Amino acid sequence: MKLIDAEIGRKYKIVSISGGFLSKGRLLRLGVTPNSIIELKRIAPLSGPLMIKVNGSDIVIGRGVAKKVIIEEYV
Amino acid sequence: MNPLKIALIGQPNCGKSTLFNQIAGYRSLTANFPGATVTYIKGKTYIDNDLVEVIDLPGTYSLSWYDDAEKEAVKALFSMDIDVIINIVDASTLIRSVEMTLELMCLGKPMVMALNMMDEAEKKGIIIDIQKLSDMLGIKVVPMIAKKGKGVKELLQTLKDASPPTKECVYSKEIEDEIEDLEQCIDKNIKDKNWPVKMIAIKSIEGFKPITEMVESTPCKDDLLKARECLDNGDKIEKERHALCMDIFEDSAKLEKTQIKDTEEKIDSILMHPVLGYLVMFALFLGVFYVVFQGGTPVENIFINIFDKIDNFLASAIPNKLAFSVTKGAVDGIGAAIGIALPYLVPFLFIISFFEDVGYLPRVAYLMDSVLHKMGVHGTSVISFVVGYGCSVPAIMATRILKSKKEKIITAFLASLVPCSARSTVIMGLVGYFLGYMYVIPIYIFNLIIIVISGMILKKLLPGISPEMVFDIPPYRMPSLKNVILKTWLKVKDFVYIAVPLLVAGSILLAVISYYHLDNSINVVFEPLLSGFLGLPAAVGVVLIFGIFRKELTLLMLYQALGVSSPALINTVMSTQQMLVFTIFVMFYIPCVATIAALKKEVGLKYSVYITIGTFLLAVLLSYFVKIIISTV
Repeated sequence: MKLIDAEIGRKYKIVSISGGFLSKGRLLRLGVTPNSIIELKRIAPLSGPLMIKVNGSDIVIGRGVAKKVIIEEYV
Repeated sequence: MNPLKIALIGQPNCGKSTLFNQIAGYRSLTANFPGATVTYIKGKTYIDNDLVEVIDLPGTYSLSWYDDAEKEAVKALFSMDIDVIINIVDASTLIRSVEMTLELMCLGKPMVMALNMMDEAEKKGIIIDIQKLSDMLGIKVVPMIAKKGKGVKELLQTLKDASPPTKECVYSKEIEDEIEDLEQCIDKNIKDKNWPVKMIAIKSIEGFKPITEMVESTPCKDDLLKARECLDNGDKIEKERHALCMDIFEDSAKLEKTQIKDTEEKIDSILMHPVLGYLVMFALFLGVFYVVFQGGTPVENIFINIFDKIDNFLASAIPNKLAFSVTKGAVDGIGAAIGIALPYLVPFLFIISFFEDVGYLPRVAYLMDSVLHKMGVHGTSVISFVVGYGCSVPAIMATRILKSKKEKIITAFLASLVPCSARSTVIMGLVGYFLGYMYVIPIYIFNLIIIVISGMILKKLLPGISPEMVFDIPPYRMPSLKNVILKTWLKVKDFVYIAVPLLVAGSILLAVISYYHLDNSINVVFEPLLSGFLGLPAAVGVVLIFGIFRKELTLLMLYQALGVSSPALINTVMSTQQMLVFTIFVMFYIPCVATIAALKKEVGLKYSVYITIGTFLLAVLLSYFVKIIISTV
C-alpha cells in the first residue's frame, strides 16, 4: 500500500520509495528510509500534507510525495 | 601565517547559528524554522591567542543539495580552503545526522563532531556514550549545549589538534567493486574535480543530478549505467549506509522512556488539530494584530506630535521657501520611518520572531499547506504572508528561504497584495471610521479571497514546478530573548536599509512637487481613469501618486487634496461608494517604492516590473468591480 492510504495512529514499515531523486533524497535524509518504522500522526484537512513520526522526529510530507512511498503494516 | 579556517556544517535547525554566535560573538540568524541561514556568514575568534576564521554555512541535510541554501553550503564547503570542519549534530536526531557525518568524513579533512542539544536528547530519552561514538566514527566528539554555552570552550580546544577521520565508510564487496570500477574511469577522464573521486562515483550512481550529468558527459557513461543497474540506482548503497548509521546509533546510544515527549504531543494535538488548530491560529494572529494596532496608535501619535513641532521650528528657522520644503520633506520622511517602525513594525516582527523561535511557524506551515499548495506555493511561504501585514519589505525579503523561483515569484506577488500596516491605516481610517467596523472585516476577507484566486491563476500561468514539501517539525523550544531581539532586528534592518532612504527621498520629491504646484497636472493626467472610469474625485490622482512613495500618508493627503480641514470631514466630500472604491484601489495598487526595491532584489528587475504592473491592473479591475456592485445594490 501507499503512505497516502495509511490510517492515522497506526504503525507501518517502509518498503520502498519511488519517485524523483530530489524529494526522495530529502526523505532519506530525514530518516524515512526503507525498513524504517513510521507512525502516521495526522493529516491536515482539505487534502493537506501528512505528518509522520520516524525515529522520534516529526516529519511533514506533501501528498504527492506520500503517493510515492510504499509501506506495509507493522505488527 | 594565514588564520585557521573553520567551517560549521550541520543539518537545518541543529543549533549551528547559535554555536556560531557563541564562538564568533557575531550575529548570525538563528531560527526554529528549517532553512533560516541562506548565505554563509564569516566571523573571527581567538583560540589561545591564535586568530581563527569561522564560517557558518547554511544548514544542509546532505552534500546532495535539494535547494538553493543547501547548494550554497556545499559550494562554499568545496570552494573555500577549509582547514577544519565542525560537523554540528543535533543529538536528539542522531540517527539521521550521522549519514551526513559519514559523507563529510569522505572528504578526508580534519574534523570534529559538535554533539549539540544534549539536554534535548536527554529529554527525549536518548543517552549517548560519547567515547563509543567517537571510537566508532574515528573523529573527536564534543558534547555540548550551545544555547547555554556549555562545551564551547572544549570544542575550541579540540579544534587546534583536530585530525582527519581515522575510519572511513566501507561498503560490502559487491558495492565497493562497482564503485571502484567507476572511480578508475572518473579519475582518468575528469581532470578538474573538487570532490573526492569516490564521492563523485557514489553520487553519480545514486543519481544526484548535477554529478550524474557530469559523469554522463564523459566516456564513463557506460560504466555508470552498469553500476546503476547492478546497485538498483544506488538504493543498495543507501540501504547499507542507513544500516551502518543504525548500527552506530544502536551501539553508542540507549533509548529510555520519558514524559516530556508526551506533553509536546498533547500541545501538538491542539495546535495541529484539523479544527481547533485553525481556530487557535486565527485567534492568535487576530490577537497579535489587535495588540499591535491598539498599542501602536498612541505611540505613533507621540511621534507625530514631535515631528510637527520640528516642522514648526523649521518653518521659522528656514526663511527660503524651497529650502524649507526640501528640509521638511526629509525630516517628515525620517518621521514617517520612525512613526511606522517603532510603534507597529518592531513589536509585530518581535512577536513573529518569537513564534518562529518557539517552533510555532512550522506548525502553521503544516496547517496552511493545503490552501497554499493550490496557489502554487507551500507552507514555508507562510512567514511572508504573516509579516506582510506588518510591512511588505521584510515580507518580500522573507521569500529568500523559498525553494523554487516559481514559488518565490508567486509568494512575492501575493505578499505585496497583503495590506501592510500603512494600508491598514487607510482601511481603518476611511472605512472603519466612516462606515463602521462591519465593513472592515469583509474588506480583509475580500483581500484574502483575491490573494487565493490570484495565486491559483499564477500557479497555472507561470512555468516550472514547485517541488513537493518535505520538512521536519522541530520540538518546541523556549527561545532566548537575545535571539528573538536579534532576529527582530534582522527583519527591521531590511526596512531600515531599503525603506528609510526611499521614504526620505520620496518625501523630498513630494515636497518639490507641491512647491512647484505640479499637483494639478498630475490630476489631469489621471482624471480619465480615476474619475471617468472609477468615479472618484479628480483630486485623488495626486494622492495615489504620492501613495506610491509613502502609503501611510494616503489618508492625510486625501483630506488635504479634497480641500477639507480634517480627516473627519472626508465624508462631506466623498460618497460611501467612493470611499469603498478608493480603499479597494489603495489596498491593491502598486506597492510602495521600498517594496519595489525589495522585489527587485529578490525576484529580479523583470518580475518586479511585472508584479508592479500586475498590482495596478488588479487594483483598477477590482475597484471597478466594487463600483459596479455598489451601484447595482
